[in-house]
Amino acid sequence: MSATINPAPSKAPPDAKTPSRTTIHRPKASWFSAQYKLAPYVFVSPFILLFAIFGVYPIVKSILLAFYATNGPKNQVFVGLSNFHYMFHDPDFWTAVTNTGTFALWSVFLQLPLSLGLALLLNQKWLRGQNFLRLAFFSPNLLGQVFVGVLFSQLFMVHYGLVNRILNALAPGVFSLDTKWLSDPTYVMPAIVLTSLWLYCGFNMIYFLAGLQAVDRELYEAALVDGAGPWRQFLHITLPGIKPIAVFVLVTSTIGSFQLFELPYLLLGGAGPKNSGLTVVMYLYQNGFQTGDLGYASAVGWTLAIGVLFISLIQMRITGAWKGTKG
Amino acid sequence: MSKSIGSNFARVMIAMLLIVCALITLTPIVWLVAATLKNPDDIFHYTFFPPIRALTLDNFRDLFHLTHFGRFMVNSVFTTGATVLVQLFFSSLAGFALAKYEFKGKSAVTGLMLATLMLPASVTMAPLYDLLYHMHMVDQYAGIIVPGAVSVFGIFLFRQAIVQVPDELLQAARLDGCSEFRIYWDIVMPVSRPMIGAFCLMSFMGAWNSFLWPQIILHHDNLFTVPIGLNQLLGVYSSKYGMLMAGTLVGVLPVAALFMLLQKEFVAGLTSGAVKG
Amino acid sequence: MKSFPFGNATLCILLLTLLSGLWIAVQPAPQRPVTLTYWVFARPHYDAYRRVIPQFERDHPGVTVDLQLVSNSALATRLQAAFQADLDVPDLCELEIGSAGTMFRGPLKDVGFINLKPRLEQSGLYDRIVRARFAPYTSRGEIFGMPHDVHPVQIAYRRDLFEKYGVDPGKIQTWDDFIAAGRKITIPGKQYMIELSDSDSVSLESFLLQRGGGYFDSAGNVILDNEAAVKTMEFYVPLVAGPHKIGNTVGDMYGAQFGKALEDGYEMSFLCPDWRSRMVEDNYGRLSGKMALMPLPAVALGGTRTTTWGGTMVGITKRCHNPDLAWALVQYLYTDKAQLAQRFSDTNILPPLEAAWKQPAFQRPNPFWSGQRLGASYVELAPQVPPRFTAPEIDTAQAKLSEALVTCAAYYNRHGGDSGFDPFVRSTLRQCADRVRAVKARNPY
Repeated sequence: MSATINPAPSKAPPDAKTPSRTTIHRPKASWFSAQYKLAPYVFVSPFILLFAIFGVYPIVKSILLAFYATNGPKNQVFVGLSNFHYMFHDPDFWTAVTNTGTFALWSVFLQLPLSLGLALLLNQKWLRGQNFLRLAFFSPNLLGQVFVGVLFSQLFMVHYGLVNRILNALAPGVFSLDTKWLSDPTYVMPAIVLTSLWLYCGFNMIYFLAGLQAVDRELYEAALVDGAGPWRQFLHITLPGIKPIAVFVLVTSTIGSFQLFELPYLLLGGAGPKNSGLTVVMYLYQNGFQTGDLGYASAVGWTLAIGVLFISLIQMRITGAWKGTKG
Repeated sequence: MSKSIGSNFARVMIAMLLIVCALITLTPIVWLVAATLKNPDDIFHYTFFPPIRALTLDNFRDLFHLTHFGRFMVNSVFTTGATVLVQLFFSSLAGFALAKYEFKGKSAVTGLMLATLMLPASVTMAPLYDLLYHMHMVDQYAGIIVPGAVSVFGIFLFRQAIVQVPDELLQAARLDGCSEFRIYWDIVMPVSRPMIGAFCLMSFMGAWNSFLWPQIILHHDNLFTVPIGLNQLLGVYSSKYGMLMAGTLVGVLPVAALFMLLQKEFVAGLTSGAVKG
Repeated sequence: MKSFPFGNATLCILLLTLLSGLWIAVQPAPQRPVTLTYWVFARPHYDAYRRVIPQFERDHPGVTVDLQLVSNSALATRLQAAFQADLDVPDLCELEIGSAGTMFRGPLKDVGFINLKPRLEQSGLYDRIVRARFAPYTSRGEIFGMPHDVHPVQIAYRRDLFEKYGVDPGKIQTWDDFIAAGRKITIPGKQYMIELSDSDSVSLESFLLQRGGGYFDSAGNVILDNEAAVKTMEFYVPLVAGPHKIGNTVGDMYGAQFGKALEDGYEMSFLCPDWRSRMVEDNYGRLSGKMALMPLPAVALGGTRTTTWGGTMVGITKRCHNPDLAWALVQYLYTDKAQLAQRFSDTNILPPLEAAWKQPAFQRPNPFWSGQRLGASYVELAPQVPPRFTAPEIDTAQAKLSEALVTCAAYYNRHGGDSGFDPFVRSTLRQCADRVRAVKARNPY
């Protein structure tokens, strides 16, 4: 994507500094070049310092921990690869992986297209009340996962929940009032997907909207002159135009999907019936934090991290977005 | 595309579709608002709003009288505000350095950051907790603010946005004798407003809604943030659903206000920053 | 004036942060030096203790007790983290029965609570408290918690509806009687005889304990696949699955929807431990006078007419500097008869100290429960309450039992109680128990 920034015409940057140009004294000049050389180091140092202490150190420590069985920091027994061995032989782990993967697929193939569709609809010049609609679609996001989980655990309730009431009123033959969204393993994943659709659709829509607004309008006019229909316009102008942002949304929402935890945890009050709502991070939390086996938590965490990295790389390769992030 | 689907019929369809989607989206929120205005007995008695005489503000009164909700709000404003400001300052500084300077170790820093970006936060939670304990930051505001001050994502956003600032602008300022910090403060930041807006909003939402970490760090209820406080109330007042929903509603207001304030910049910021392929 | 380089919204945030910071800074810090910190997770306990602790402070000059109300889920997480990292923990802490076991993980020397057994024996309390109630708080012979309650279970039912449909609770002696009555008045999708879950072990657990089963035996061995468990499962599943089920749940056992389901008669009865009877009284006032209690039906004539659900312990942590004082507080709160009577009136919760049960408060008729003598009805059942043994893997065991329930119910929904049902239940329970054993075997301590 080219630089489509609109530098908000705020304060004119080089203001009232002109006189000093001709009168740079020597000591000042050396100070000037020193501060120029030092500046980048000074600018990154607060970050580097914090990052080293609160980012890198715990990461390194967690790598080591992955090879220990622990009972809190006080009790550590080196167990080599046995954490990984146990994990790969634990059916619950694979349930978690399957659920998380399923969820990620749903978010990529249902949520993202819907978000894009919504953005396309909303991106009409003639449309009145854009701000209101944007706010409406974005509003679920203001609540955050925790409260959405709590709210929807009520909405999905058997017999009295709003979801069942509405569906039953719309199609009494299809939807029973007693559909057990949160306690029948068949319905748990749909419930999670629907909730997250509600929560994140508007958020991703905003990204797509931003991408759409950056697409050069003149291209459409040119296409119109060439007699290209809406579908061809979409394929040949819109899609290439929003590709960078689409890839970004794809990668971040995939990563986000693999980190899913709070939403199902609060929605189901745990892993759900027959672990149908167990995600990898929840597995990590339950088997690591709740039991105090931080070593195992680290092992699971690292397995997840490597898996996510792998998938992101594949995605970037497929979409051709990997140009190497040079420094 | 607006012109190609220009017929009135298409317009009406689009508008209808959008309105239906908006209604679906807003329904749970309307339910939430309605729940805050009902007595406990009435919550499931009436699907949405009860008749006017059954409306009540008791839930809000209880929220501030029975619980420390006011204190939770102040705590949240403080910790979230501090986190956002520190993140914003450090991220934009470092993003500026990465975008516009060549210096030793730059690629190493970038690579390291990229690598950690994909790591789930839960991996480092255990060692981090241990570390904070030894730094005496457990059960302190600092335990939330300080580790939260690092936003790798933020640095990437700012780097992407600042890369697009023309170098000539900076060079001209240098010729004028501007120090590098002045350039950052007076030129780069004002030009990056949209990204600042977008970043502020996202970082604010993230910090405001953050749950797991404060839950682990904070022990005393006079330090609790809104999500932690509300979750606590959920365990203790499980039957006062209207009050909990009132808490959710009040707790969302600051984020909503900020969103309204920053809507335009948010979209513009995303356009300018996150999207460079 | 030059505008703020980060924009007005950021400026607003800055000002708000400064303001809130300032406000926090001027808040007076609590000045009282605290001698004992005490965490509780149940609001009824918190309210009750807050009323009587000032008296304890007067009796022990110079002593101050800092009582804190912490939600149960947060409490378990924090305490665990604090114990394991040697962080500062409260001097006394109440734990819920479900999270108690997980706190006893690791070598005995690293368990965060002190062994109360010597003190219990020395004070004679050990013999005066319902013995079964120590089980959940005992690990490898050491007692880490003083039980707060007995929690016998009865069945609470809509008296008016039972009368209307001609169900006579007095004639119900066994579960078979109960089921026969239930089949008559259950209308699928509209009204169910009893609230039972088909996906969560919470109510199945009560049935299991009534039949002498459990998650673990007294030595901490997994017994989820023993004969009692198989028989319970085979008995329970048809109650919540298949065409003749009499139990269902709206998924909410504590909140407003549960109240609505009771009010509508969608659920006409429910398993009711003493603590739940109070919850219903406090929250669903509209049902006053329409509810009544009956003892749990027996498995067979002459069998146990109760089971247990839930529980709380108080423990003294090893970090406590003055365990004797803490123990004095425990005795003050848990064994003072006058207080226990008052607490019963406030909470309906039966204390495990048998000597307290004779007081008038336990004999009083309760108008909400159609004038029944609620205390006496629970007291009568209390001696029969079965023990509930625990182990650090209790979380896993509960999850696995729930999983087995869902699997067996799905089978029953498809095939009914055919000849394959028994082997299926056995193998399902075996698999689940083996998973718990595997988790246990991993624990190197």
